[in-house]
Amino acid sequence: MIDLKEQMMDPLLETGLIETRRHFFSRTAGGIGTAALASLVNPELFAADKATTGMPGLPHFAPKAKRVIYLFMSGAPSQLDMWDYKPKMKEYYNKDLPDSIRNGQRITTMTSGQKRFPVAPSIFKFKQHGAHGAWVSELLPHTAKMVEDLAVIKTVNTEAINHDPAITYIQTGSQLPGRPSAGAWMSYGLGSMNDNLPAFTVLHSTVNGGFGGQALYSRLWGAGFLSNRHQGVSLRSTGDPVLYLSNPNGMSASMRRKMLDELGRLNNERFAEVGDPEIQTRISQYEMAYRMQTSVPELTDISGESKATLEMYGPEVKKPGTFAANCLLARRLAERGVRFTQIFIRQWDQHGNLPKDIRRQCGIVDRPSWALVQDLKQRGMLDDTLVIWGGEFGRTIYCQGGLSNKNYGRDHHPRCYTKWMAGAGIKGGIVYGETDDFSYNVTDKPVHIHDLNATILHQFGVDHERLTYRHQGRDFRLTDVHGKVVTDLLA
Amino acid sequence: MTRVYSLETSRIGRMTIRHTISLFFVALCIPGVSPAAEGDVNFSRDILPLLSDNCFKCHGPDAANRKAKLRFDKHEASLQEIEDGRAIIFAGKSAQSELYGRITAEDPDDRMPPSDTGKTLSQKEIELIRKWIDGGAEWAGHWAFQPPVPREVPASVKDWRSSSPIDKFIHASLAGAGLSPQGPASKATLIRRVTLDLTGLPPTLKEIDDFLSDKSEQAYQRVVERLLGSKRYGEHMARFWLDAARYGDTHGLHLDNERSIWPYRDWVIDSFNSNQPFDRFTVEQLAGDLLPGSTLEQKVATGFNRCNVTTGEGGSIDDEYYMRYAVDRVETTSTVWLGLTAGCAACHDHKFDPLTQKEFYQLFSYYFSLTERAMDGNKLLPPPIVKAPTMSQREERKELTRQSAAITKEIDSLLANAGYKDPKPNEALGDLGEQERVWIDEQLPAGAKPQGNDSPPWKFVESPGHPVHSGKKSHTRVSTSDAITQHFFTEATDKLKITENSKLFTYVYLDPAKPPKTIQLQFNDGTWEHRATWGEDKAFHAGKHSPANHQMGKLPETGKWVRLEVPAKVVGLNPGAQLNGWAFTQVNGTVHWDKAGIVSRSLSQQQKRSQYAWEQFSAQDNYSGLPAEIQGALKVERGKRSAEQAGLVTRHFLRHVHPDTRGRIAKQLSKQKIISNKLAATEKNMPSSMIMEDRKQPRQAYVLERGQYTEKREKVSSEVPAWLAPPVKDAPANRLGLAQWLVQPSHPLTARVTINRFWQQFFGTGLVKTSEDFGVQGEHPSHPELLDWLAMDFVASNWDVKRFLAQIVLSSTYQQSSRITRAKLAADPENRLLARGPRFRLDAEIIRDQALAVSGLLVNTIGGKSVKPYQPAGLWKPVGFGGSNTSVFKQDKGEKLYRRSMYTFWKRTSPPPSMETFDAPNRETCQVRRARTNTPLQALVLMNDVQFVEAARKFAERVIHEGGAKIEDRAIFAFRTIVTRRPGDTELKTLARLFKEYLEQFKASPESAPKLLAVGESLRDQKLDANELAAWTMVTHLLLNLSETVTKG
Repeated sequence: MIDLKEQMMDPLLETGLIETRRHFFSRTAGGIGTAALASLVNPELFAADKATTGMPGLPHFAPKAKRVIYLFMSGAPSQLDMWDYKPKMKEYYNKDLPDSIRNGQRITTMTSGQKRFPVAPSIFKFKQHGAHGAWVSELLPHTAKMVEDLAVIKTVNTEAINHDPAITYIQTGSQLPGRPSAGAWMSYGLGSMNDNLPAFTVLHSTVNGGFGGQALYSRLWGAGFLSNRHQGVSLRSTGDPVLYLSNPNGMSASMRRKMLDELGRLNNERFAEVGDPEIQTRISQYEMAYRMQTSVPELTDISGESKATLEMYGPEVKKPGTFAANCLLARRLAERGVRFTQIFIRQWDQHGNLPKDIRRQCGIVDRPSWALVQDLKQRGMLDDTLVIWGGEFGRTIYCQGGLSNKNYGRDHHPRCYTKWMAGAGIKGGIVYGETDDFSYNVTDKPVHIHDLNATILHQFGVDHERLTYRHQGRDFRLTDVHGKVVTDLLA
Repeated sequence: MTRVYSLETSRIGRMTIRHTISLFFVALCIPGVSPAAEGDVNFSRDILPLLSDNCFKCHGPDAANRKAKLRFDKHEASLQEIEDGRAIIFAGKSAQSELYGRITAEDPDDRMPPSDTGKTLSQKEIELIRKWIDGGAEWAGHWAFQPPVPREVPASVKDWRSSSPIDKFIHASLAGAGLSPQGPASKATLIRRVTLDLTGLPPTLKEIDDFLSDKSEQAYQRVVERLLGSKRYGEHMARFWLDAARYGDTHGLHLDNERSIWPYRDWVIDSFNSNQPFDRFTVEQLAGDLLPGSTLEQKVATGFNRCNVTTGEGGSIDDEYYMRYAVDRVETTSTVWLGLTAGCAACHDHKFDPLTQKEFYQLFSYYFSLTERAMDGNKLLPPPIVKAPTMSQREERKELTRQSAAITKEIDSLLANAGYKDPKPNEALGDLGEQERVWIDEQLPAGAKPQGNDSPPWKFVESPGHPVHSGKKSHTRVSTSDAITQHFFTEATDKLKITENSKLFTYVYLDPAKPPKTIQLQFNDGTWEHRATWGEDKAFHAGKHSPANHQMGKLPETGKWVRLEVPAKVVGLNPGAQLNGWAFTQVNGTVHWDKAGIVSRSLSQQQKRSQYAWEQFSAQDNYSGLPAEIQGALKVERGKRSAEQAGLVTRHFLRHVHPDTRGRIAKQLSKQKIISNKLAATEKNMPSSMIMEDRKQPRQAYVLERGQYTEKREKVSSEVPAWLAPPVKDAPANRLGLAQWLVQPSHPLTARVTINRFWQQFFGTGLVKTSEDFGVQGEHPSHPELLDWLAMDFVASNWDVKRFLAQIVLSSTYQQSSRITRAKLAADPENRLLARGPRFRLDAEIIRDQALAVSGLLVNTIGGKSVKPYQPAGLWKPVGFGGSNTSVFKQDKGEKLYRRSMYTFWKRTSPPPSMETFDAPNRETCQVRRARTNTPLQALVLMNDVQFVEAARKFAERVIHEGGAKIEDRAIFAFRTIVTRRPGDTELKTLARLFKEYLEQFKASPESAPKLLAVGESLRDQKLDANELAAWTMVTHLLLNLSETVTKG
């Protein structure tokens, strides 16, 4: 294996790089200032500088967050059984949801045909935790221990009532396909903080060894109309972690290195002939690909993690692809300067048998979520790493299907649900917003998903109204034409 | 700088140095694009974009958000006088113009645009506005909304080679910018460029050599003609169109199941190959179904607007999706033909272009009356559809039908001579025989997929403890709520066939302590619309007494087993139907079920020997299942039938009913059986395709407040925005009228937008760079006169596409060398002025197809169902919905691995990764311009994707077989095959040296070569030495990774 440094010493390549930089400067000298210039230049040519290469003028102000780890609970977890404690509902067991609460709001066609909307109180026990007395159910014993680090937002809301539009909405700011995802916006606006891993990575979690549950779509981490270099790269737990990473069978690392050296030489020669700077870029992209071939396996190799760390995440941490393993991997990605990591875990769509299924899901996510925050904290990284937990909408107080005192199901509920955030300048130890007794409507401090996205961008020093991209004659942004930063959440 | 914003906003801008600087320089240097530094102010080019960008948001076409009742998009409006001697715009006097006053105001409260908009005008821009006002404030409107006007072709410049009008226009602007054209590209480069551009594939060595040795004047023209006549041309052109049509092989939303609309894709290929004029191409896709006597092909063509993404997600509300589908179709139509971004006007009047919200919904109305359903049912073929047999299938069907008819004739004559006599010609029909078939007892039929509200969905219980009627088990369900609950199965492969007089039966036991309110049986023969209900009408389809909810009466007695029988007909199941599913549904209570199946009553064997007995039975059975002509004859009284009718009846009886006559025609029957099997197979293999079809009663469209489907405002009808072009006289108020409006020769946009996309295909950038946006916010054309000239010429040629493309590739502009000199790079980095030939990275599909072509793996079959070549294992699993039929990727084998990339199965929520990595769109929405990035993930694809490694080793086999005996000759062969030109000295030496070094390496580790040569599924040539082949594979692998290989130069 030839070291990267050695490669950079390659006289021909080096000449090419210098030559290109020199061309660039000579062509633009006097045109624009050097500061703007640095941000215009192709990042990889300055890989050694580790320059961030976002848009000029960004961040708009001093950022609190350098990176985000977004734990996405796909399928929509029930806020009623974890966070939004509604003791009064005991009295309403099997009574109809009052019309005054529903107030004619639309509901999905899965339950709109139901004759009754009987209230299903949560069967789970709630206790208060932390100095501020946040209510958390027994389903989340580990998470409950860290409520003083969390801003629990009970009033997140959206308009979409079905999974595909709702998850597309929260991820891209639009219910319809075609817009860039939040991670892509960040990669576009703020650039990359490292030179051998993607700026935006996506991890998928198994549940009991399989996937299943509501579908996900590559648009959820897609770049929409932005350059596709900003789209999320899935790190896979089976096969190559990054697609096409491994050399083919029978091709040794030294054969690969030789091939790349000669490829660089031939490409350079062509550059001298035809003068196309694109060739220089391609040479450097091959070098980055080569660096990824070594850095990614190192990333996924957790043999160096301490016993204490592994223990914290729980026994599943050693099984690649589990939520626990992904949480640890997310921390390792964060350490290596990956700006946006999103972990998806599915199977929260509990229309029936909710008590049993939610217990399983919480059993999977509770401890690793807690461990991740502790791990970041112990390493001093929570100060500039934003952790977000939650799904695309919430669930109804009324029962879908058969109701008993042991079993029930819940339909989709967009009007209020709970998410939490921690770290990177988010105020810990608060429970934000209030909902009515039925967890049906927001009664105080609503947080629309656009507000949430505006707040996330804000922590990165980005004014969500000013991170725009002109497409088809219009300046698009993540928050469409909406969104307000929720300043109450900021420390 | 006026348009420096594009630095921040261009998707392509940040990718490469070239592009980065280029945007900067476009603004700076190109006469057609930037404001003239000195001299003329051109309103449309210089002023309107400033007004649009800075003012229109508050003072533009959008009436609802207009501030101070002031608009700058209309001339009269801005000239209004506001007080003595002052006007908003006082033509000739900036000092008396409020507009000028406000953009130069010192006081930040007065200054426009307001600071909170984040917009500012530069000194230079302010100066331009001043000049424009002082010069008379001439108003021309936006250029693209005026029909093209005849332009004079400029005279030739100096002694530059300028054979065509294109060249003369290009040269005129080059001369203006102080640039001169590059010399011609070498012949080797040129044939690669033009072959890739017209067919998407590289030229073969023979084609290269033929061209190089053809010294005649017409050599190049001959190549162009050959390429335009190649079937590969249609495939290549179709690929671009399919991006615009958002063609995919899955629904795109939620389950993202497979859908079948590839016959539409093949129609597009055919259409380009047969050079269908673009106006007809347009009309057929938008409204082929509405053409008088429309052909199958014209219907298939309307698949264009069925390609949009659709959903079948449970819980969705129909009206919301009817609205979304129509919006998508307006946006797509608008982007593709008008180059306008209509989507904005779904929520409010367009901010920049004069399209009002009402006009948007008038366009919307054209697409709001389709017979499609909002929920696509996740089906392969959501209606409306049409069976679209291929040409060969149609011929096959014709031939088989002919053969079958000949045999029928033979049988008829055999039976006519059989001398049949009815043994009981006058005997009344006695009792019928009865057959019972049990389908569900103890277990479910084969293949059944059980589902239900609980888990496990089906609960089989045993006695004691539970009542059981038959065998050891019954199945049961307990419910304590009034919600509908059920257990059921579908997809039984052992199906239950419905015949004459069939009755479906099951046994039921209602718990006397907890009786249900309702029980319901549902039967699935493809749909669930067959239900029988007992008790209160509280189950599915309550309130509707119909086959979909046939009310059988009161609940059966509780506390005992009762047999329920449902005549198949009352629930709409007719003879021939086959059940694959059965549901047991209840509202509240505890219910046990047991033994279920079917009872049919029909003739006994003995009765079947009497024609009269059969006739009586048929009459009782209301002649069900009989061909119409037999029914007709049977309905005529026995004595009154004509000889022909009598013969018909007897022949039918003998052939189909009588148990003994079949022996006499056994040979014919077995022949016919074979034919009918073949026919059935042909029919089964016939693809269908999704098409457009309007409802008989149009649905009323409304203006929707803020685009919300629930908030209807005034009614609107289907109309075109007349300010753009007048409606076509006597055109119908439907999609056909819309299409006719688009292709009328004087339409200002259709031809310009179309030829601009073609131009973009060849030169990398359109004459209007924003090929999707010709509106006020779009970029001004680099060569407005040329654009108009070409557009008019295109229409005058009867929209002849091949002629148009030939015009491009035959121009000397196109044939220039693409070498980039430093001076030209500085002057025009993005090559908008075309002082050199085009040079840019090839599209994803071409990169893969080229590798397949040079390796000899490429399979040339045109069209057909999409294929699934290699992709890394397990990609669909982590994203696919469990119930989706595309959650598991099953790779194809054999030839399907080597088809052109345009036939690769496109799962829209997880597109083929090697394509996506090279900027192929995901086909969820219309796209007319692809980005062209240069990323490390692309390098990894070319380095390690099985497809490319396999191509390298098959290419290496060709090198050894066809490249001659010497190493150098082989290297030359390899190099020429992939990049057309001969290698230079250093290149040749490098390749030869590399081969030798790799050969030594492979010899030193003998286990390596066989491994490398086993990558991919094609077999390796065992006669070749493994080490030598592997070493050449490394060389060809390198060649496939060359920058030059993935670049059109």
